Amino acid sequence: MRPPVVRPRTGPVANPSQPDRAISDAGGTETLPGRIVRREGEPAVDDASVNEAYDGLGHTHALFWDAFERASVDGAGSPLEATVHYGDAYDNAFWDGSRMVFGDGDGQVFAGFTTSLSVIGHELTHGVTQYTANLVYSGQSGALNESVSDVFGALVEQHSRGHDVTEASWLIGEGIFTDEVEGTALRSLKAPGTAYDDDVLGKDPQPAHMDDFVETDDDNGGVHINSGIPNRAFYLAATSIGGNAWERAGRIWYETLTGEIKATTDFGGFADATIAVAVRLYGSESPETAAVRTAWGEVGVLS
Amino acid sequence: MKVTVTRSGGFAGITRSWHVFVEREPDEESWVVLLRKLPWDEVTREPSQPDRYLYRINCEPRARTDRPDSRDAPERILPEPREAVIPEQRLTGPWRELVDRVRERDEEKRELRPAAAPDDNT
Ligand SMILES: [Zn+2]
Repeated sequence: MRPPVVRPRTGPVANPSQPDRAISDAGGTETLPGRIVRREGEPAVDDASVNEAYDGLGHTHALFWDAFERASVDGAGSPLEATVHYGDAYDNAFWDGSRMVFGDGDGQVFAGFTTSLSVIGHELTHGVTQYTANLVYSGQSGALNESVSDVFGALVEQHSRGHDVTEASWLIGEGIFTDEVEGTALRSLKAPGTAYDDDVLGKDPQPAHMDDFVETDDDNGGVHINSGIPNRAFYLAATSIGGNAWERAGRIWYETLTGEIKATTDFGGFADATIAVAVRLYGSESPETAAVRTAWGEVGVLS
Repeated sequence: MKVTVTRSGGFAGITRSWHVFVEREPDEESWVVLLRKLPWDEVTREPSQPDRYLYRINCEPRARTDRPDSRDAPERILPEPREAVIPEQRLTGPWRELVDRVRERDEEKRELRPAAAPDDNT
C-alpha cells in the first residue's frame, strides 16, 4: 500500500496582515451561507453588493490590523465571510455568529446595506466582540455591545478615508436610506437622536445622556437605543484627544474590549475600565486620561 | 381576537407593529386553524443574534356578540391573553406563518385605508 500523497500548499500562504475573504450570494432566499461568488484575490464581479462587501471586509481588516495588530475577528486570521442578497426585500444586516449577512432593503426606506462602510465595520466588530468581551446582548451590556460596533464601524470608515476627528462624519449608515427618507444616516455618535426625523420612520430615538436612558422590553432592552450614550462618550473623548480617532481613543476602547471586562458589565463598569486602560497606556495625569474621564462625566455615566 | 406582532431591534433599531382582528377577517376559519398550531409551550428565551429582529406576538381575546357559542371561535382556543417573545432565528413554522400573514394583511388594509383616517384601534 502506498502512503497518501502529500501535496504542497498551492494556495496563498496564511499571512495575518492580509484578509482571507469569501462573499456568498443567498439569491433572495434565507438559506445561509449561499453560493460563493467571490473569493480572496479574485477580481471584481458584476454585482455591486458583492464588491462592496468584499472591499468593506478588506477595509475592516485593515483597521484592526494597522491600528491594533489584530488579525481578523478571532485575532488568529480567521476567514472573513459575508452573504449578500439575503431574503426578499430584507431590511436588515446582521451577524449570525460566524458571518455578516446583508439584505437588499425594500427600496422604499432602505436602499441596501452594503453601500455603507460603517455598517460593514459594525457587523464585523460584532465578531470581534464575540471573541473578546462577549458582551451579553441585553440591557446595558447589550447597548455597550452595540456601541462598540458603532465605534469601530465609524473608525473603519475614518481610517479608510484618512479622516481625523474633525473631518469625520461620525455617522453610522450614511447613504443606506432612500431619497424618500428625511435623514442622513441611522445614528450619529456626535449627536445621538439627530440622524433622522421622518414622517414614516419617526425620529431617531437615541439618547445622548443618562438622564434620557430609555427603559424598554423591546430590542432586548433598547440595545440599539441606549448605545447613543456610550457612543457620544467615545466621540467626546476622541475629539478632545484630537488627531486620528483610531490611534489613541480607539486604542483605549480596543484594549478595554479585549481586556478583563465582564460580559455583563454596565456603562459604569465599562467607563471605569476605559479610564484604567488610559492610565496604563498614557499615565494618570495625561490629557488622554482626562479626556476619557471628562467624556463619561458629560454623558452622565460617571459623576 | 386581536393578534399583534411587534418587531423590534434589527440594525436600525426601529420598532414596527402590525395587527389583525381575526373575527373581522373574511377567512376567519383559516386564522383559527393557524392559531391552533402555535406551540406556545415550546417558546424558550434565547438571546438574539446581533442586529437580528426580536418579535413579540400578542393574542388578546375580545368580547364578541355575533357567534358567542361557536366552538371554533378564537376565544375558545385562547381564552386568556398570551404573549410570546421570539428572536428572529427561532421564528419558524406556525410562528413565522402567523407573523408574515399579520404583516401582509395589515399592510394590505393600510393601503386601502385613506391616509388621513384614524388608526382602527378598537
Ligand atoms: Zn449591531
